[in-house]
Amino acid sequence: MTSRANLAWLLASLLVTIAVVFFWQWIANTGYVSRVFLPGPDRAFAALMRDYNSGKLFTEMGETVLRMVVGWLVASIVGIALGAAIGISPLARTWIAPTLELIRPLPASAIAPVAIVFLGMTDNMILLLVAFGSVWPMLLTTIHGFSNVHPRLDEVARVMRLNTFERVYKIALPAAMPDILGGLRLGLTIALILAVVGEMITVQGGLGSRILLAARAFRAPDIFAGVIMLGLIGLVTNVALTALERRLLRWQPAPAH
Amino acid sequence: MTATLHRLDRKLANTPPASAKTKGKPLISLKGVGLTFGSNEVLRDIDVEIGEGEFVCVIGPSGCGKTTLLRILSGLIQASRGTVSYRGKEQREPASDIAIVFQDYANALLPWRTASQNVSLALEAAGMPRAERRDRIAELLSKVGLSKHADKFPSEMSGGMQQRLQIARCLAQNPSVILMDEPFGALDAMTRQKLQDEILSIVSESNVTAFFVTHDLEEAIYLGDRVIALEPNPGRIAELIDVPLARPRNQLTTREEPEFLALRRKLFDFVLRYE
Amino acid sequence: MKALKGFALPILLLILWQVSALAVGIHSDTLAAPVEIAAAFAAGISNGSILRATVMTLTAAAGGLAVGAGLGVAAGFLFGLLPPLSRLARITVEVLRPVPAVAILPIALLVFGFGYPMEISIIAFACFFPVLLLTESAIRQISPRLMEVARVMRLTSVQRTFKIVFPAVLPRLFVAMRLAAGVALIVSVTVEIAANPQGLGYNLMLAGQSLRPADMFAILFWIGLIGWTLNWALMRTERKLFPFHSLRRGEE
Repeated sequence: MTSRANLAWLLASLLVTIAVVFFWQWIANTGYVSRVFLPGPDRAFAALMRDYNSGKLFTEMGETVLRMVVGWLVASIVGIALGAAIGISPLARTWIAPTLELIRPLPASAIAPVAIVFLGMTDNMILLLVAFGSVWPMLLTTIHGFSNVHPRLDEVARVMRLNTFERVYKIALPAAMPDILGGLRLGLTIALILAVVGEMITVQGGLGSRILLAARAFRAPDIFAGVIMLGLIGLVTNVALTALERRLLRWQPAPAH
Repeated sequence: MTATLHRLDRKLANTPPASAKTKGKPLISLKGVGLTFGSNEVLRDIDVEIGEGEFVCVIGPSGCGKTTLLRILSGLIQASRGTVSYRGKEQREPASDIAIVFQDYANALLPWRTASQNVSLALEAAGMPRAERRDRIAELLSKVGLSKHADKFPSEMSGGMQQRLQIARCLAQNPSVILMDEPFGALDAMTRQKLQDEILSIVSESNVTAFFVTHDLEEAIYLGDRVIALEPNPGRIAELIDVPLARPRNQLTTREEPEFLALRRKLFDFVLRYE
Repeated sequence: MKALKGFALPILLLILWQVSALAVGIHSDTLAAPVEIAAAFAAGISNGSILRATVMTLTAAAGGLAVGAGLGVAAGFLFGLLPPLSRLARITVEVLRPVPAVAILPIALLVFGFGYPMEISIIAFACFFPVLLLTESAIRQISPRLMEVARVMRLTSVQRTFKIVFPAVLPRLFVAMRLAAGVALIVSVTVEIAANPQGLGYNLMLAGQSLRPADMFAILFWIGLIGWTLNWALMRTERKLFPFHSLRRGEE
């Protein structure tokens, strides 16, 4: 497929998206669906613009993004460091990994009530929730990555007499990188979800609180505006991580199509 | 079994008797080496000496422990019995001047490093300063004909190119001994012949000692000064065969020489007994 | 032996927890000793409250999974078999997909109020996109050789769908379902914690807020057990149904 053909498809697909927005407008205008539930894109956009002008938009978005990113960063550092340590050591894998597998299927949001009991309805509770929830994918993918380095590479390292630091830094870490990046991406998705859940429960500001309050007050355009912003956060972070992944994993063979 | 071998030996009257000894001081010597994994005896009583600059090939039916023998030589695994000495010292860990060319080049190369970065790994391990590395890498890549592909990742290279790259990386270790484990087994016939000749010229230029495991009998005769034939269950040396063919060798004329054909016949008969 | 070693750490932690609770002798509003938690769990099971909540949560999860995954598989087949359609929908899908499922919660709340329909709609939204994408890629990954075989044998498109495409994607479809089932459980508990006053999530939240830590940890443990069992059962079924499938090798 040539790049020109690709561009044409991309444009066509953009047109479809625009058509969907117009369709949404049309549905809203006909009044088949109550205006209370379904504001048209015009009203959602007006709500966005109003908040943009008052400056509220970026404050709230900033709060949510900050919680998501800080929690995710903490989880990433802890997850990767711990995951590398466990992945490298067969001893740690035998004793610790099964416990982690036991905790993994626990829905992360289920610890929210526990966190609230300890920390109250606070900002820190949201951070703890985000960090706890997003640490699992990071931890488990890192362990998987470090423990699945091809045995041949291990032999290469021995034949070349690399020291332990070199083995970790030059062989194991790059070999585990695809797994780690997968974990980072999954972790970020979970971090956003949990930041929103945390905000909904605690009503400590941010987009999560805002859309829940809007729902209680039957202000549908505000909800849609908030959902659009949340989608945008998800989209932008995802695109950024994909770009990072492409850059760091240039060496991987292109998937066959 | 011994009787068959003797009969074959008489047919090969022009082949001088081979021995486990090598002329001069041996570089590597194995005495009574054996290996047992659990209840499975893989190797038994391997006695062989390899001299400096010698090219020794190992053949044998599958499951005879060829690869295991190579790993013991490299120090990657330890023998359960007997001693392996290298330069008169017991071999416990891989030595820095022994390089290995693995058969599965795709797994042995670091996929996230380009061709020149892969070669660089060996230089980094040896502690060569960054400034000196570049010239050395260029030299090594040109030796194996990969100069134009220095910035390619392994996934962008053909099998033959990847194996050349692995050879270049081994040469970067400045080895005295190169151990090769069926290095050309996964390559097509044309590429294999080209690489055989390249390996021969590299070995003769740098006077390294080569230990070459293969399942291709003709390849063993074509490359080797000596061929070790292993028999399976457990792996033992069935025979040590000198290859009296002149060097430099030639893909066409060497393979047509009567000694070549006689040896080929002899090895074929040997392997057929285990099919 | 290896499995036993795996259990050593959690058991050790439990004992430590119990011993320190006994030693310090605290009766706090935040923590409970393992023995108290076990008692609370037994009580919850015997008076039926935990089981009732479990049925509610699992009903919502199953309903949402059925709707979301059903639509996802249908759309995935459509996109997989008709690549132009997939290319046309690409940006729309990419824009909608990153919307976190819980963000839909206020809309669902507005439309349905509290109860099953609201929870099910959110779960369905959460399951739809992963299933859609996995199904589509499963169809894409059918070996072109198989499709050529189908053409050489001159199978009709209906025959091709049922004799080649469907059996070929079945293992991957199962994997998609297994992942979606996990998502469904997580989302159902989350929705119950955040808003919907029913099911395990709500009971968990209620126990925490009314300062009954033993009940809270008992429900937390139970939710974890359900998640673990679900995952284990589905993995096992997968291995039974598709023992020779190359999928696991492919994932490595």
